[in-house]
This record gives sequence, C-alpha cells and structure tokens, in this order.
Amino acid sequence: MWTGDKMITNPNAYDLIVAILNAIGVYNIILGFFQDLGMEYILRVIIVLVIIAVLLVFVLLTVMFLSWLERKMFAVVQSRYGPMVTGPRGLFQPIADGIKLLGKEDIIPAKADRWIFTLAPFVVFVSVLLVFIPLPFGRSLIVSDLKVGLLYIIAISAVTPISILLAGWASNNKYSLMGAIRAVAQDISYTIPLAITAIAVVVFVGSLSTVDIVNAQSGYWFGFIPKWFIFLQPLGFILFLIACIAEMGRIPFDFQESEQELVAGFFTEYSGMKFAMFFLAEYAHLFAVSGIIVTIFLGGWTGPALPFIPFELTSLIYFMIKTYAVIFFAMWLRDTVPRVRIDQLLNLGWKIMIPLALLNLLLAAFVVTAGVI
Amino acid sequence: METETLLLNMGPVHPSTHGVLRFKLRMDGEIIRDCQVVVGYLHRGTEKLGEMKTYLQFVPYTDRLDYIAAMPNNYSYVKAVEELAGIEVPLRAEYIRVLVMELNRIVNHLVFMGSLLLDLGASTMIMYGFREREKALQLYESLCGARMTFNYIRPGGVREDLPDGFIPKLREFIKDMEKRIPDYEDLINGNEIFLMRMKNIGVINAEEAINSGMTGPSLRGSGVDYDIRKVEPYSIYPDLDFKACMRSECDSLARYLVRVDEMRESLHILEQIADTMPEGKFINQRYGMAPTTGAPTAVMSFFPRIFTPRAGEVYSRIEAPKGELGFYVASDGTTKPYRVKIRSPSFCNLVALPKMVAGLKIPDLIAAFGTIDVVLGDVDR
Amino acid sequence: MAWISKDWAMTGIIKGLIVTMKHILQIGNRKTVTVQYPYERMKLAPRFRGRHAVDEDACIGCGICESTCPNSTIRIVKYGTRWFPEFNLGMCLFCGLCVDACPMNALKMSGGYELADYTRESLVYGPERILFKKEVNE
Repeated sequence: MWTGDKMITNPNAYDLIVAILNAIGVYNIILGFFQDLGMEYILRVIIVLVIIAVLLVFVLLTVMFLSWLERKMFAVVQSRYGPMVTGPRGLFQPIADGIKLLGKEDIIPAKADRWIFTLAPFVVFVSVLLVFIPLPFGRSLIVSDLKVGLLYIIAISAVTPISILLAGWASNNKYSLMGAIRAVAQDISYTIPLAITAIAVVVFVGSLSTVDIVNAQSGYWFGFIPKWFIFLQPLGFILFLIACIAEMGRIPFDFQESEQELVAGFFTEYSGMKFAMFFLAEYAHLFAVSGIIVTIFLGGWTGPALPFIPFELTSLIYFMIKTYAVIFFAMWLRDTVPRVRIDQLLNLGWKIMIPLALLNLLLAAFVVTAGVI
Repeated sequence: METETLLLNMGPVHPSTHGVLRFKLRMDGEIIRDCQVVVGYLHRGTEKLGEMKTYLQFVPYTDRLDYIAAMPNNYSYVKAVEELAGIEVPLRAEYIRVLVMELNRIVNHLVFMGSLLLDLGASTMIMYGFREREKALQLYESLCGARMTFNYIRPGGVREDLPDGFIPKLREFIKDMEKRIPDYEDLINGNEIFLMRMKNIGVINAEEAINSGMTGPSLRGSGVDYDIRKVEPYSIYPDLDFKACMRSECDSLARYLVRVDEMRESLHILEQIADTMPEGKFINQRYGMAPTTGAPTAVMSFFPRIFTPRAGEVYSRIEAPKGELGFYVASDGTTKPYRVKIRSPSFCNLVALPKMVAGLKIPDLIAAFGTIDVVLGDVDR
Repeated sequence: MAWISKDWAMTGIIKGLIVTMKHILQIGNRKTVTVQYPYERMKLAPRFRGRHAVDEDACIGCGICESTCPNSTIRIVKYGTRWFPEFNLGMCLFCGLCVDACPMNALKMSGGYELADYTRESLVYGPERILFKKEVNE
C-alpha cells in the first residue's frame, strides 16, 4: 500500500486512514498544520483515538446484534418468536435491555469487597476488548499488526479468568466462589490445548503475526480448495474449536455460570450496569474468539476480490461472514446439547485434548520438516 | 493438606430445585459428602383441609397436590370415596377416567423430560415438551374447562361428558406425539454429553429403592417390576393391553428411559381407549338430582353436594405418573371425612435422594434429582 | 475410561444438531407455535372456566352455591331489591362446583381470564360486574 512517500507491506488501520486522507488530498495539509506547531505526535494520537472509537463502536454494535441473534435463534429452534415488539422483529431489544439495566439499582452486597467487586466487571470487559487489537478484520483493517499477535491473544485471554476470580471472590457468596474456581480451573486446562494447537499453525506459517497467518492462507490448492488451515489440520481445528468454546464459557462448557447448579455463577451478586458489563463482555468474547478461529483456521479475510469494490471492504465482508458462521455454530450447539460436568470437562481437557494437541503439533512439525507443504 | 468442608445451602430459592425444596449440602470442594433434604416450604395443610371439607368439596384440593398431573390425584381420592360409599361407576365414566389419566401421564413425562434437560443445561427440550403439552392441555380445556387444576373426576363418574370431536382430536394428538417422540430421542437419547451425565449417576439398587419406599418409574428404573396397574389392577386396566416398562441399570439414565417408554405405552393405551370407548352415561345418575327448572345441560353432573358414606376406612392406591399415589380416607359416618392421609409419590421418592447422591458432585445431584421427578406441591401437601 | 462415551464420532450430538436444524428451517410441521399474547390470543374452549357470570333472570339467590364453595369465595349480597352472589375471586379455586350445584342453572363461568388487579378489594366481583341477561331467542 502506498502511503505518502513509502511502501508498506503489511499496512494496518493507521496506514489505511493515512492513505484515505492522502487519497482525498488533505493529509499533507493537516500534517503541515501540525508540523508548523511542531506537534506532529498529536495527529498520530488523534488518528489512533479515531481507530479506537471506531473499533469500540463496531464491537458494541456487533455485541448488541449478537445478543439479539442469540435470543432470536434460541427462539426459532424452540418454535417460539423471541423478541418481536421493539423494532423490526425485535431488533432493538438489546437497546431496551440496556436502558432497563441502566435503570436498575446497583447493589453491592454488604459483606463484599467493594473495590474488587466494582473493578472486576471492568477488567473483564477491557481484557476482552484488548483481544481485538491484533485481530485482522480485513486487509489493512487491523489496529496493530503485532509481531507476537497470537501470543498476545492467548496471553490476554488468560486475564479473563483472573477477573472472574476477582468477581467471584469479592462477591463473598459461595455460589460465586465456586463458579469462579470452576472458571479458573476450566480456563487453565483449556488455554494449554488452545496454545498448542495455535503453535501447530505457527509451525506452518513461521510467524506469530496474525496478518502473516492470514496471508499464508491466501491462494488455492488445485485451483479450487482454499489454502485454509482447516484443511491442513482438521484435528487441530476441532481441538481449537472445542477449546475456544470452553474458553468462551458457553454451553456445553458454561461452568462459570452453570445456571442450574450455581444460580448464576460468578455474577450471582451483580446487578445493573455491572451485570451489563459482564453480559457485554460475554458476547464480545464470543465475537473475538470466533474471529480468532476464522483468522487461524478459516483463512481470515481472504477470498476472491470483486471488481469495483476496494478489497478492504470485500475482505471485511468475508471476515464477517466467516465469523458469523462460527458464531452460528456456537449458538446452534448451545441450543442442542446439555452441559458436561466439571470433572468430565477437566478430564476431557487434560487427558484427551492436550495429548491430541501435542500429537497434532507433532504431525504439523513432521509435515513441515518433511517439506510436504 | 487439611481442608474444610463447606456447608452449602441449596434452595429453597434456587433455579433447579423445582420449586421450594432445600438441600443442606456438606461439600468437600465439588463433592457432596452429605445431603440433607429439607421439605415443608410449600406445606398447605391439605390433609387437614380434607377433614373440614365435604367429600365433594375436597376434590379440587387434590388438584393442587401434583399440579403437573392432577387427574390421577382426583381419581385416587374419588376411588377411595367410591369404595367407602359403595358408589357404582358407569363403564363409560371409567373409560374417560383412564383416558384422562393416561393423557396426564404423557403430559407429566413431557414436563419431566423438559425439566430434566433444563437442569442439565439444554433448554430446548422443555420448549418442545411444552409445545406438545399445550396440545394435551387444550384437550383438557375442551373437556373440563381447566388446563391444570381439573376437578373433573368426581364420585360416581366424571364431571362432564366428552365434548363433540374429542376423540378425533385425541387421535390427532396421538399421531402427532408418535412423530415427536423420535425427535426427542434423536435430540437427547444418543447425545454423548447427556449419556455422560446420566450413566452410572444416582445409582440406587433394587433393595435400597424398595426400602426407601420408592415407587413408580423411579423404582422400575431400578429393575423392580412393580406397577400398580399390573399388580393390583383397578378401573379398566385389566382389559387394556399394555406392559409395565422396566429397566435394570438402576441409574439416572434407566429412570429417564423408563419414562420415555411409558409415554409410548400410554399412547398405546390411549389408542385402545379411542377405539373402544363405550356409549353410556358418564356419571352414576342414581345419586343425581334434576334441576328444578330450566333445561338440564350436558354441563350438569347432577351429583349431590353432600352425601354420607358408611363409617369405616379405605386405602386406595393407583399408579400415578410419579409413583404410587394413595389416599387413606377414614369416615365416621358424617358428611366429612374423619381423616385423610395422602401417600404422595414425590415425597416417598425424595427419601431415596440422599442415598443416590452421596459422593457425587453438585451437577449429579441436579441430574439425579431431576430423574426422580418431584413436584413440590406433592412433596409438601 | 468411563468418563467419556466410546462413540468418538459424536453421532448422537450430530443427530441432535440435525433435529435443531430442522426446527431452524421449520421442516415438516415444526413451525412456530406460540402466539404474540397481548396482540393475539388463543381460542378458548367453550367450557373454559374463567370469571363467573350470573343470569340475572334465573338466579333466585338461594345460596346453594355459597354452601357448595370449598373456599368460601361466594357471599350472597343484596343488590337492588334482590339477592345475588358476590365472588371474591382472590380466593376462588375455579373448580366449578358452584356451577354444578346451581339448581336454576343460572350460574356459569365465562371465558374471562385476565383477572389480575392492583388491590384485593377489586378482586371482589359483586353483582354489578357478574350479572348478565340471557338473550331470549325463542
């Protein structure tokens, strides 16, 4: 991509904005204005803030849409209508819910640890939002192409159980505590197979950068099979998918909440806006993790270019279609299966997933070393 | 390492205690060391109410015991009163009674399947169960005007005759159910996660089950072939072709599968009844009193409000969907019973729960509790 | 290895997924069955036992319904020049025994079922709210 005076191979959203400003011919004027003041960095900060604002709005809108989609799909599966009254087919139901939650009393239990209790929902939400930073939504639609993108994602995902533990512990409620302990046990045992299967992909790509991973998946085998890693590593994909669903904490692995056992798990005591934060974080997490699955195994934003439409836009559409396919599967699964038991989950994680993940890594290493691909 | 046991108080307000049941659990981490069932949060003094109401007036109260399946409650009490007072029942009335009771068994097992799966975290089945239940409830509504608390069976017969077009609608329901049950089986029975949660969980062997007083499908899941419809036949059951469903695995899955099989058997019974429903009176009119003016309508049952059976005592028991439902009615020759004692299946089956769950985990407690199919109105009375 | 099913292909879950997919696509009589309640209502059976209604001409105020009621819901009150039953629906079981006991066939239960109210007093349905006149169609 050509931005001003130099060529950038892996552009990110910042470069995209600069390129757009260049294309309409205002970048140099603005840059000149700030250079005259001797404060060029302010322009950089403004552009970054714009990117953050766009990302935040995009994620929140997606989250609202997802919460509607989930309820609607649940309803359709169960021969019901679901939300119908607010807006067309109840599309504005999340807004109504949000207003309702804002109006609710914000209760902090008397025996709770006030600081940590208040902090926990924000930590959850921020840690989920941070996952989006190295996530490529489309060509050059990435906040920052970190060289250690995949490692960063796995590391940031590991913050979520800490915040859940904070919430569960601070609530001073037995159910919350048990939910939190379960969540931590579950996240620890599933981050490992998650990381190992991700490493197997890294072995093929040779880079932790998410953009490199996506680029490695462009092109076709025999002219029609896209070079997605799902075809290279079906076992790895299944393991990654299961680990991701466990990481998201959705049925059949929703132990952090396990409504029928632990009332509402770690957020039993939360109400009002704090509850809404957990709620938003849950769906943001669903979106983020689906995006990661798409990026690593389903070719990210790659796809055939269409004429007359900038590939930045087409790639975004490809990415969203794939992500919604994964989300659809997660919701579909949620509608169908019951919850497994916590010890069965841990058994599955440690005794099956991790050995299989290691086997998958071994296969990947063997294939790469033998030079088959 | 030294660890503490955690006293967890589950209920009476908890999502999966099916109402207001309370478990006092001594937990070692996730493992249940000791489970104590505390009942009585829904106690309404129904037995005492029985002593204060006339024989007829008490019938609507029996609806409130097991409100998921109220017809067997009605019938069991009415059967006791009929034995006490020596009331003859027309054949058609008996057929209608068995019809509504078997329909209620299906309704009960649909709710059972739904709530069990809901307890396990799969919330789709309960909607499917309620979707079919709604059709049965509409049948009830057209039959007696109420959907859950019927007050339909009464001494001498039933309240009203079948409405026009009831049998065709019933056949439609049977046909529909026969198509739906394979759907449920596809959805649930083969599901690996469901099997993981149910197999070898909540095991209770036949001897312990009998000693705890378990009856009904829960007992038959433990391999005891004990169905009151077979061992002590009542009403028209001797003329009907059905089998008592039984499984010998003794675990939660067996108790679940017994109920699925029972639904099929009940559909079979319903089919037979729809084919052989005799004509005749729906209530014994010897006890009737014609209204003084106005044309009598089909709605009228003509049964006297007050009658006095002989002094004596009777214990009548039937196979309710949840187990043996017994009514002990003692009369002192007045218009009201001297004593009514209800032997409710939910309460007696609940006794076995602590034995099932010792050493298991909370999710297993939920699963095992779901499979013994308890209604709190029936437990606390 | 008792903790995991031997069926590694997870065919059971796939079967379940197929069932739910059939519902999503609404194949073969798996349509939406609920109704949008306040906007549309289901049809009630003619025998539905809802709010009581008393035929103004037929009722003689005898009080048999009062004595039949298991829950002391009914009270006979004076309305105008005649006596009529008054129903405290907060206590009513909707069992229908009063309807069966009425010797004049004056009492019936209508299809009214939206009976929620703000106060207990407004649940007491006096004669002014339950009386109706039977249409004479000879």
